[in-house]
Amino acid sequence: MERSLQRDSIPTNRIERYMARMPSLPVTVNRVMEICNSPSTSPYDLNRVISLDPVLTGQVLRLVNSAYYGLRNEVTSLPRAIIMLGMNTIKNLVVSSAILSTMSGRDDVHALDMDAFWLHSLSAAVAAKRLAACIKIPAENQEEYFVGGLLHDLGKIPLNSLFPSEYAEIMAEAPQKGTDLCEKERKFLGIDHTQVGGMIAEKWKLGVAIEDCLRLHHESLSASERNVDRVRIVALADLCARRFGPDNAGTCCFDEEAVDMMRLALSIDQTDLDDLRETMADEIEKAMIFLHIAGGDHGDKD
Amino acid sequence: MGIRIKFWGVRGSIPSPGPDTVRYGGNTICLEARCGKADRLVIIDAGSGIRSLGNSLMAADVADGLREVDIFLTHTHWDHILGFPFFAPLYIPGMTVRIHGSSSYEENHLEKVIGGQFMYRYFPVRVEELASIIEYVELGEGAFDLGEGLLLRTKRLNHPVSCMGYRFECDGKSFATVFDMEPFQNLFEAEKSGSAFDERLAREGEETAAEQNRLVETFYAGADLIIHDAQYTRREYHTARKGWGHSAVEDVIEAAQGNRVKRLALIHHDPERTDDQIDELAGKFHTEGSSDEVMDVFFAREGMEITL
Ligand SMILES: [Zn+2]
Ligand SMILES: [Zn+2]
Repeated sequence: MERSLQRDSIPTNRIERYMARMPSLPVTVNRVMEICNSPSTSPYDLNRVISLDPVLTGQVLRLVNSAYYGLRNEVTSLPRAIIMLGMNTIKNLVVSSAILSTMSGRDDVHALDMDAFWLHSLSAAVAAKRLAACIKIPAENQEEYFVGGLLHDLGKIPLNSLFPSEYAEIMAEAPQKGTDLCEKERKFLGIDHTQVGGMIAEKWKLGVAIEDCLRLHHESLSASERNVDRVRIVALADLCARRFGPDNAGTCCFDEEAVDMMRLALSIDQTDLDDLRETMADEIEKAMIFLHIAGGDHGDKD
Repeated sequence: MGIRIKFWGVRGSIPSPGPDTVRYGGNTICLEARCGKADRLVIIDAGSGIRSLGNSLMAADVADGLREVDIFLTHTHWDHILGFPFFAPLYIPGMTVRIHGSSSYEENHLEKVIGGQFMYRYFPVRVEELASIIEYVELGEGAFDLGEGLLLRTKRLNHPVSCMGYRFECDGKSFATVFDMEPFQNLFEAEKSGSAFDERLAREGEETAAEQNRLVETFYAGADLIIHDAQYTRREYHTARKGWGHSAVEDVIEAAQGNRVKRLALIHHDPERTDDQIDELAGKFHTEGSSDEVMDVFFAREGMEITL
């Protein structure tokens, strides 16, 4: 691997610069534009389209939690952010992120299939919210689990965009040898997507709960006492999204043993997990209808 | 000592000269405040009223050696910035003009918007050709020490663009600007009949809007003077002007009354509002007081001066 970077040259400043102008996912772009350009945008539609995109969700929460507002507690809810920032500001913020996405173009040589990444993120979000309900998290807090699931792999985006050829090699090797993606990322780039995710969450002031989800979803036993359930839920949702979801986000092969361990630690019944498959499929379909994109062949992409 | 305030422009939306607006004035918003022993100059907004203020500064302060000017922009809508290129001190060598304004999701947006006015297609002088130096200071919510005993607190307001409320305190006196501002709305309630209606979102929206409105009130509570957007009457507001980013007189008075405000200046008069109509509103809403119990309520008039 001649091209791999030295371990001591972690390109964090490049990653930080990228974070400031992160493009939304290509899959939501058209609908984002359509909703934001409509003179009579419904707040429900705006909320919906943002909540289907990890980057847009992150950007909106970043703005509301930055020096912009002098808050004592982090805002992790989109509807709150929409009211505080106002529809106009949100629409313009979201559109600028979407425009970056159209400029970066789909035809770049990127290792990460962005549609698959989207499917995986959304599946994990849906699963996390559902699992939160299973462990009796009150309804008004379940949305935070959705956000945790939606954003958990956000750290992959800068790595994939900034180091496309290295990332392609990482992705090509990771699943075959059955080794951990994070390990490969660290070997080739000196930093892994959970570390980058942690950086994003920290920089965007998304709060420790979400930060832990991004940083610790591959080592959920390290989570602090306060967030341990939340991180485990997101970790389990991630695994379930890989098992049932139509995607291949390339993290690693599905691990039956890990699922059982996590499930037992959270006291979740096997039947609840079985139900997840249908829930995820339903929600993905609804999202696709909402985004006006065809479903169909997403299921058998490998 | 204390704080003196002069209104150089009180109109909203667009300059509105003419026989119907001579008494309250047709210039858009610009305020001058002089604070404390140092007589520290603070300018709020650069609507068309800033042209006359600039001329007055040239005749006195600049001749006496003033070389630094601080302008606090509430937001970047046209009516609040259009006078800026006609602010005479910009053309004085050695002058530094500091523009403070709300941060946005965009980097350096103040410079883009304000500096962007000096483009040949809008205005014949380019920014590079100005004799003065313009500095931009972007603010979030918080408290800031401006020196010479002058303190500033900021609070974001609800308007269709990032908009900042300012509260200045000096020598135990304080005034707050609350424009342009529409009370925060529960956007998720408006569509109760719609198919998308979601009770959980509506409840969260209700809490958020109420909390933000409470925070705005806390922000101005106890001030000796607040200068508040009151472009509409309640009746006008409820006929197709919701979401435009402005407040109704009745609502403003009601909110201020419960918050130990001593004097309330209503500002951002609608461009269509004639002097007679404002007099009529004043007849209805004006109260004289200036104590915690009886608030002094009046419609701001161009040229008016107030000492706190
Ligand atoms: Zn205005
Ligand atoms: Zn405005």
